[in-house]
Amino acid sequence: MAYVVTDNCVECRVTQCVAVCPVQCFHVDETMVYIDPHTCIDCAGCVDACPVGAIDDEFNLSDDKLHWIEINRERAAALPRLTGTMEPLPGAEARKAALGL
Amino acid sequence: MASQIETVIGACPQDCPDTCSMIVSKDNGKVISVRGNPDQPFTKGRLCVKVNNYQDRVNSPDRILYPMRRTGPKGSSLFERISWQDALEEITTRWKDIAATSGPNAILPYSYLGTQGILNGLTVGDAFFNKLGATISERTFCDSGACTAYTMTIGDTAGVDPESFVHSRYIVLWASNTLTTNSHHWPFIEEARKRGAKVIVIDPYRSRTARLADVHVPIAPGTDGALALGIIHILFRDGLTDADYISRYTVGADELAERAMEYTPEMVGAITDLSPELIVKLAHGIATSQPSVIRIGVAVERQSGGGQAVRAISCIPALVGSWRRPGGGLLQLPLWAFPVSWGAFIRPDFIGSAPRVLNQWKLGEALTGDMALDPPIRSLMVYNANPMAMAPEQGRIAQGLSREDLFTVVSEHFLTDTARYADIVLPATTQVEQEDIMFSWGHLYLSYNNRAIDPMGEAVSNTELFRRLAKAMGFDDPCFSRTDEEQIAEAMLWDAPQMAGITIERLKRDGFARLNLPSADDYAPHAQGNFATPSGKCEFKASMAAEGNFVLGLFRQGYDGQQSGEPIDPLPHFIAPQESPVTNPALAARYPLNLITPKNHAFLSSSFGNLPHQRRHAGDQPVVLHPTDAAKYGITAGERVRVHNDRGAFEAIAQVTDDIRQGVVVAPAGHWASLNSGGATVHAVTSSRYADMGGAPTFSDILVAVERC
Repeated sequence: MAYVVTDNCVECRVTQCVAVCPVQCFHVDETMVYIDPHTCIDCAGCVDACPVGAIDDEFNLSDDKLHWIEINRERAAALPRLTGTMEPLPGAEARKAALGL
Repeated sequence: MASQIETVIGACPQDCPDTCSMIVSKDNGKVISVRGNPDQPFTKGRLCVKVNNYQDRVNSPDRILYPMRRTGPKGSSLFERISWQDALEEITTRWKDIAATSGPNAILPYSYLGTQGILNGLTVGDAFFNKLGATISERTFCDSGACTAYTMTIGDTAGVDPESFVHSRYIVLWASNTLTTNSHHWPFIEEARKRGAKVIVIDPYRSRTARLADVHVPIAPGTDGALALGIIHILFRDGLTDADYISRYTVGADELAERAMEYTPEMVGAITDLSPELIVKLAHGIATSQPSVIRIGVAVERQSGGGQAVRAISCIPALVGSWRRPGGGLLQLPLWAFPVSWGAFIRPDFIGSAPRVLNQWKLGEALTGDMALDPPIRSLMVYNANPMAMAPEQGRIAQGLSREDLFTVVSEHFLTDTARYADIVLPATTQVEQEDIMFSWGHLYLSYNNRAIDPMGEAVSNTELFRRLAKAMGFDDPCFSRTDEEQIAEAMLWDAPQMAGITIERLKRDGFARLNLPSADDYAPHAQGNFATPSGKCEFKASMAAEGNFVLGLFRQGYDGQQSGEPIDPLPHFIAPQESPVTNPALAARYPLNLITPKNHAFLSSSFGNLPHQRRHAGDQPVVLHPTDAAKYGITAGERVRVHNDRGAFEAIAQVTDDIRQGVVVAPAGHWASLNSGGATVHAVTSSRYADMGGAPTFSDILVAVERC
């Protein structure tokens, strides 16, 4: 049971979510962040922090985003934990604009 | 209609230490969302899985919005809408008749902290029922046993400021699943860890908090007192005590040292099923990593020796001088920092000369004739509580609530497991529909809940409920007609030093105010003793023990008489569980597994146990077994099993993991019986037997068997 990072994060990766997460459950690769479902406490603090609306409760996901549950689970297990915020990716602003946000 | 979004600052009403400041958004009078108030320094803008969608609770199609009268058999959930006038007339007619024919003590109020506001919470009905002369409800749901023990040792002090934990070097979370029940405290613990602190979690279950700890201490259930005494043994044995602090600010150290002699690491290791080396390591960590701090969770009291366990734990910080610095000492219940004017709400002066007191854990026995009561309970009024889901011996409570001659009134948001049995159901407001001022038992901020919207339907706040009942009963004392505004003005001892600079206007505007205490970076309340005990010192040997066992008056409508008074050893000692393979092998031969019943991550006790979002997160009622136990009883993960003992049975979905010790099973409480397969939940198998102090329950001292359905 957890929150899930979805495709809006790809190539954006602003990581404000990490600043508010009380349990440091975010993991990171070159393109985006992922939530470790075993550590997430479902507090939803990250949802409002994300500027591109990439994060949602797994029970609120639309059908076309359900596969992100498993992606978060697998990638979080394989990747290092993120303990602080990072610089957004270079294309973050463009990505945000492309998303209409 | 054009969108008109406005925000109002409220405060979370749930019985949780965190009491979040929350921002309620409404659109044309309808609450559309809640979120944490980012300005509140402790809760920092986050809420939690229980409350994030509070608007769904407010707007739920299942809300009770009108008074209702039962039309079918008890428990059938068949009701018809009636007017408030008819409801009040029926209730007061019945109560006047009962009072005249059996005496008013045939009426029993039953309530706790379904809402935690100072106006609408713990004491909201006390003045009314004290005036009526009803049986006094002894409410020992949560921390009462620990409070008795803690008060005997260091007094009713707030203890360590939770925010001071950033300065702690060694943090022991003793029987606390912080990430589930106190999650806003965690960032302060995490910050301490960044600064080099170690975090220790003592819990039979590798909870989500234990998984993140530096050291998880998987203690055998019900043996915390032995561990604390084992730690004390090492402190004396290895010369780790702070002799100066002990000589200035404590009493009874020599007697305690002598008492602790027998609790060798080997003996304690055998009782707790922990290695002697780990016990020694814990003692050295607490003593040498200063300031060290112990956070006592509610669960520790829920065993036969829970009171003495808290006594022993409460001695440790003074033995090693942890109190000398901010971030050192003990955190149990900072509620005591708040100068609430309890007497203005409780009105103990209304209590007659010989009231009857009934403990709430005994509801099943009291309603079914298993307890000799003269007069018997003929009417029950439940508000702020759901005993069918949260009190022991569920089957017996259902049997009692089914009595045709019992007149039951329930004030609620929803048709709970308890409300289903009511004769009259009354509609209660949610937090966004009422005004209140809030203490906290997990931080030092007073909070204010501005009412966001008008009451929905014909729902009324608890304050209004008792105004109406008092008027209908003809009670004319001015306290019964006080408005909410007048009650808020009387809620606090505004002249107390902690309240300096805090006004109602400021609270309404900001939603919170830190009590006027030193900052968390400087606050060391017992650096020079100043304990709130009779001696002013930390009493290893407790002088208050001479009067025997007691429950604090706050938990019994302000009444201090007729305490149970069982003898209490003035020195801490270990009291073994009553239901364990060691102490009761005959029972364990039939029921070999020890059950523990922690809090559910998505529910607050049984609140939210009916809401779709929280139910999705919680899943069906689970029971967690160790793989060896699962194999032994032929149980595979995911299958439906029956958990049972002589008191009853409930069904659950098996989860199999080595996060739990072999021989112990975990089934969180809070699921609704009426929504669970088989119509029963955890409290079908729990006992109404008390722990050693303060009427605490023994929910971690239960043997069960688990079998496939």
